[in-house]
Formats: sequence, C-alpha cells, structure tokens
Amino acid sequence: MNARKAIFWVVGTLVALGLACVGARVHLRRQMALVPGDSLWRISYTVEFQARKAGARLRLGIPADTPHARVFRERLFHSGLIPARSRPSRAGNRQTDLVAIRPGACSASARFDVHLSPRPLWRPSIPSTPISAEDRAAWLRSTKSIQVEDGRVAAVLGILRREGWRPAELVPRLFDYCQSEIALDVEGPHDAAAVLEAKRGDALGRTRAFVALCRAAKAPARLVVGFDLGNHARSEPRVWAEVLTDHAWEPYDLVDGHARQLPHTFVPVWRNGDEVVRLWDGSGLRTDFAVFRLPPSPGMFRSEVRASPLEILNLTRLPLEMHRVLAVILLLPLGALVTAVFRAVIGVRTFGTFTPALVALSFVYSDWRAGVFVFVLAIGLGLLSRAGLERLKLLMVPRLGFLLTLIVWCVVFSVSLLDYFQLIPSTQAVLLPLVILTMTVERFHVTSEEDGLRFAVQLLAGTMLVAACCYAVLRWDAVGDLLLVFPESHLFTLAAMVLLGRYTGYRLTELWRFRDMVKPVV
Amino acid sequence: MGRWNWRFWAGPAELRKRGVLGINRRNADFVLRANRRALYPRVDDKLLTKQISETRGVPVPATYGVFERYGDVRRFDEWVGERREFVIKPAKGSEGRGIVVIVGRAGADFLTASGERLTVAEARYHLAAILSGLYSLGGQPDSAIVEQRIQRHPAFDSVAVGGTPDVRVVLYRCVPVMAMIRLPTKASRGRANLHQGAVAAGVHLVTGKTSGGVCKNRAVAAHPDTGLPIAGLEIPGWDNLLNAAMELAEALELGYVGVDFVLDAKAGPVVLEANARPGLAIQVANRRGLEPRLELVAAEPEGPISWERRRELASILADLP
Repeated sequence: MNARKAIFWVVGTLVALGLACVGARVHLRRQMALVPGDSLWRISYTVEFQARKAGARLRLGIPADTPHARVFRERLFHSGLIPARSRPSRAGNRQTDLVAIRPGACSASARFDVHLSPRPLWRPSIPSTPISAEDRAAWLRSTKSIQVEDGRVAAVLGILRREGWRPAELVPRLFDYCQSEIALDVEGPHDAAAVLEAKRGDALGRTRAFVALCRAAKAPARLVVGFDLGNHARSEPRVWAEVLTDHAWEPYDLVDGHARQLPHTFVPVWRNGDEVVRLWDGSGLRTDFAVFRLPPSPGMFRSEVRASPLEILNLTRLPLEMHRVLAVILLLPLGALVTAVFRAVIGVRTFGTFTPALVALSFVYSDWRAGVFVFVLAIGLGLLSRAGLERLKLLMVPRLGFLLTLIVWCVVFSVSLLDYFQLIPSTQAVLLPLVILTMTVERFHVTSEEDGLRFAVQLLAGTMLVAACCYAVLRWDAVGDLLLVFPESHLFTLAAMVLLGRYTGYRLTELWRFRDMVKPVV
Repeated sequence: MGRWNWRFWAGPAELRKRGVLGINRRNADFVLRANRRALYPRVDDKLLTKQISETRGVPVPATYGVFERYGDVRRFDEWVGERREFVIKPAKGSEGRGIVVIVGRAGADFLTASGERLTVAEARYHLAAILSGLYSLGGQPDSAIVEQRIQRHPAFDSVAVGGTPDVRVVLYRCVPVMAMIRLPTKASRGRANLHQGAVAAGVHLVTGKTSGGVCKNRAVAAHPDTGLPIAGLEIPGWDNLLNAAMELAEALELGYVGVDFVLDAKAGPVVLEANARPGLAIQVANRRGLEPRLELVAAEPEGPISWERRRELASILADLP
C-alpha cells in the first residue's frame, strides 16, 4: 500500500515537526529570562456586592500601560454578572463593565499581571491633537469634594499667588504648600475646602485640596488612582494628582512628595477619578486588593527594545486587545476538525461545510443567548419571507439579494430589540455571518421543497448540533491561550486532518443505515 | 425475520463481514482514485454525457432543444408550439432536482406528470431558475435541456407508481459490479429518487431479474403502494443495457461510475445520466456488499480489461454472496 506509507510519513513528519517546534519554543522561552532589574507583578481585585436590581452595573478599572509597566496578561472571573459594553471615557481609561443578571449577591475578581522595568519599555508619543476646550473646562470644574469656587480655596490661593505668574509657575508653589502646611492625618477631612481650613487631611483630602487649588489657579488638574508596585506592603490603591502643563500631564504625589515625575513603580488605573471599582444600583460593596510579586518565570513577553525578527513568531508580543481575536482565529482550525469528525466519523449532514463553524464563531463574539435568539429569528423570518418570495418568481441572484436585505434588517433590529428590553444586558453587536445565513435560508427552502420538510429540518438540526460543538471548542479560552503561545501546535491539527482524510471506516450513521444488511442472506 | 427487523444498528465487524462499502472508503479508495477530477464535467453536465453517448451509439432520449440564454427563454412559447410531451431538466442538476415532466396540455397550460397545471409563464420561470443555477452543483449558471419524454415500458406497470422506473448499473474499471432498479412511489412523487421514498430492488447481472428490495434504507419485499412483490421481475433488453453501460463507462474514462437507464416502451434502455459518485443504497437493494466485488475487479492486472473478461467477471460477481 503505497498511499498508506505516504500517509504514515506525512503524519509522522507533521507530529515530529510539531514536537520539535513546541520543544524549541519552550526552550527559547526558558532562556528569555527577565532582564536584571525587571520584575513581574500581579494586581488582583476581589469584589462582592448585592445588586438591587437586574442591570446593576459594576465598573472595574484596568491598570494602564506606562512606559515602565505593561500588563501582559489579564483574567476576569465573575458570577451572577455578564460583561457589558461601556463607553470609552474622556480620559482614555480602560475599564470592564459587568452587569448583574438578577438582584442578589454578585461577585467578581480580576487579575492583572504586569511587567515592570526601570528602563522604558516603549516611548510614549506626545499627543498631537491639542486638548479640546470642553475637556479643559471639565478639568477646571468645581465638584462636590473639590470645591474650586469655595472661599476657603480662594483665600489660600490669594496668599500664594504673585502678580503676573503663569499657572505653571504657581503649581510647584501650591504643591509645596500642600506638602508642608497641610498635615497628613488619616482621621482628617476628605474634601478640599475642609482640608484647607483645618490644615490637615488624609491622603485623598490633601490631593483634592491640591487639585482644587490648581483648578482655582486655572491649571487643569485631575485625580488619578492606581497602585504603587514598589510599596506593596500596602496594597490599597493610592491617589495622586495630575496637572496639565503646556502639552503633557505632570504627576504630583502628595504622600511621598514626588513632583513632576513618579517612580517607575506607579501604575495608574483610573484617571479623573479616585475609585478603582465603581458600583451603580448595588449596595454592600466590598473590595479587596492584593499586589504581589510573581516569581520570575518565563514570561509571555519580551522587552520590545531588543526585538529580533524572530519576534514575528511570538504572537503574545501583540497588543493585549488583539489576543482574544487571535486566540479565536487560532481555534478555528479546531472548529474545522470538529466539523470533519462529524462528517467523516459520525456522518451528520449539515447545510454547507463550514456554516456551523462560522455560525459558532459569531456566537463566540457575542453572548450566545443573544446569538441564538437572533439566529432563530433571522432563520424563521427568512423562511417565511422566502416562502412569500416564491410567488414573485424572482431570478436567483436578485432573490438572494432581497433575502439578504431582509436578514440584515432582522439582525440589526433584533439586536436593537434585545437592547431595548434589556433582555440580555450585553448588547454586543451580533455579527452573524449574513451571507451564510441567507444561503442557509435559501437552501432550507429548496431542500424542503425538493426532499421534504423532514429532511430539511434534519439538516438544520445537524447544522445546529455541529455549530454547538464548534462553539464549545471556540469558547475554550485555555486552549486558545495555549495556541497563542504555541501556534505551531496546529501541526498536530494538520496531522489529525490527514488521518481523518484517510479514514475509510464506517460512519456511525452507516451502522444504522445499513442495519438491514446483516440479515441472513435470503 | 421479525427479530432482525428490530435491530437498530449493525456492528462495524458485521458490516465488514458482509462486505458493505462505506461512504468514506468509497470516496477515498474508489472515487478519488479511479475518477480524475478533470473528467467530472462529462457526467456533471448531462449535455456532454449525451454527446459522448451518441458518439458511441449508446441510445439517449432525443434532445428537442437546449436553452442557454435568458433571451431564449422568452421565446419558449413560440418554440414549444404544439408539443404535448417533453421533459425539462437542468444540464448540471443532481439527484433529479429541477426536472419537470410534461405529459399533456390543457389549453395553453401544461400538465405535469405529478398532475399539476403549469402555465407558460411558470414554465418560463422554471427555465430561468435552471439557467440561474438554482439546481446545478455549486450553483453555477446552467443550461436547460428539453428532451423526449420516455414512455414507460409495460413490464413495470404493476410496480411503478406515477413515474418511470430507472435502472442503475455501477461499473468499476468498466466491469459491471452491481445493478438495481428504482421504482417511483407515491411518497417519491413519481420520481425514482431513493431519498424521497422510491423503492429499489437489486438486479442480477446475468439474468436481469430483480431480487431483494429497499425503501428508505429498510429492506422491503413489496411495493409500498401496490403491495405487489418487487422481486422476480425481468428487465427487458438486459444484455443491451449492460453492453451500453460498459460502452459508456469506457467512453467516459471514469473508473468508478454509475450509469442510469430508463426503459422506453419502444426504444428499450436509454441512458439518462451517469454519476461519478454513485450512492451506496444499491447494496441494501441487492442485500449484498460492494466491497468483495470491487476488490475482485481491483485484483485484475493493470490496464484495460477485455470485453470477454468483463462479461466473465460480471457473471462471477452476479452470484457472489
């Protein structure tokens, strides 16, 4: 058997190559020890609260990347909650919104692994667009705890101000004043006016006082909350201030007295705010933060400063936002493998070869319940209108175009419907493969006409079954992450495909189909 | 027998013992190996199959006309004139899809074999649907063939309900390995299509006599509509049919092919189409497996097999268990 020998060699080569590549990468990753001075840290949040109603919203700030600190891995666990889309904030914060499914106890925890380096890992670009007047006004505004227009703030400013000083010249003086004249007192007041009056305040109060003074002096200023990884004995988030000078935000830390530049260990989480975790429509919020150093294990990153062309093969180097998309793309061959197993080993028939895998892929990107709802609605209405279209006797391509338009409507309005009734809090656009959906509707109709409704329903059920299995595979985060680190493991997938491609045994359904063949010969 | 009817499945070892060929093995070892992809158009395009058949003197239904452009479709009523009986079929259709059999006229309207009325406009729409590729493999643009309607041979009046039976011969290396006859039923709406509930019976390769029987993947002995036995019928002109099948398989140059015939009352067996991936239900119809037959033919020395040897092999295969 020549072909059998060839298959044996191909499979053997693929598996050997796969083992070699994975082995080589494991070896290389071991060698990629951290540069001396660099360190790995984990910041974790644990949050518990009682939702007062369904739709109660929890917002978690995500540590931002700085030139010295880069989040290379993040994980979110939650129960009783569903991820929801959130508007990007003005200050460019990164956040995750979670929404309660029903009233009652909810919990969430998040974990961010940070690579910290005394050398800059990348150079921040200076934003070319000037800050808008609207934004500038927002950072000069008076708030409940930063009472810019209060007489007590004006009084202090009156003492410190000199004729003809620009705000930039005044800010260091304001900082010195808050540092030296206002005593740090944990029991002290929290809001700017009270702190300036009492000349004592807690860390937050002193920072607010400084921000209020800056704003009163017409220097845009804001609070920043984040973590200091260098001082992790206290893992509580800490607050500092940022003041806008000519073209950049300059940090001022009133606890340790850092002015205009912070140690590289400071990682901001939320700009223009003083809370890492915010809650709407809930009560009993309990938050627990932990910061600790990770053992210097082989990292999933490498300093970009010394990037070699070999880094092209390292997908984890790409921005974190791309990881999920890349992981799902890398899982797609496994979806194809599932489809092949269903076809060749089990013998389930479907509409179109890769329709199930593509439908499953679109479910992964949105909430699966929303996906199924939109899918069923689109197929149902599509079939009804297809039956109606039959009377018009349209030619095929215009008819498909007509159907596609209806299905597009169906998809966008059912997403809107879900959002309106807040049935499923996640209103991620359900991007079903529209063309595939259209073809499925058309083929369902033709099949039910030609081969009977029963057969068409059978095919649809087969399609949904395979799609569900593909969905389970595509949802497999752990495997997705593994594939992201070791994309060469698809050499094994290729070997499996070759083996499946030469599988000449019976399909499971054939055992049923040919059951009458084992009757004794008549 | 009763006990067997309740079996829900057969074990793979049992099927192997009975020599049943599975779809995976058919594709991997026979279809992919014996049939060159470049030759597929010869069977996928019925117009081409007809032309090839005619060059070899293999009888086919007479072609009345071919519609290739939408412009031609507009002149369909002019073209059809007073014709009362014809068949419209897509050149690249599969599994009998898109075939309309016209059996008579009612004024300007046509009467189909299934007893429906078809207006001229509907007939035109059907032709346009065929041209747009609705019934073709992969949905490519297609052409529509209008051809002679086959008159059912009286030998099958008792077992063919509402349509014309067809005979399939599966050939491997131009040697007939198995044959079956497919009989339309009410459930199949007059079409000889096993998916849709037609019944099939095995045909003895030497005598042309029917045996066994299958309907919806179950072994049956009688026609579901008439209750008459489907075994023991004799197919008229069997030797001609077998010769035509071998002739066509040779002309098509496909190593593994199914050739479908219908039996015309006057002309005898005529070729309807050929198939490069013939289905496996033929095994259930015959209650015999294809595998030992194919292996026996595969064991022949390489190169073309002589006509004498083919007939000799067919008669050996006919009585293989």
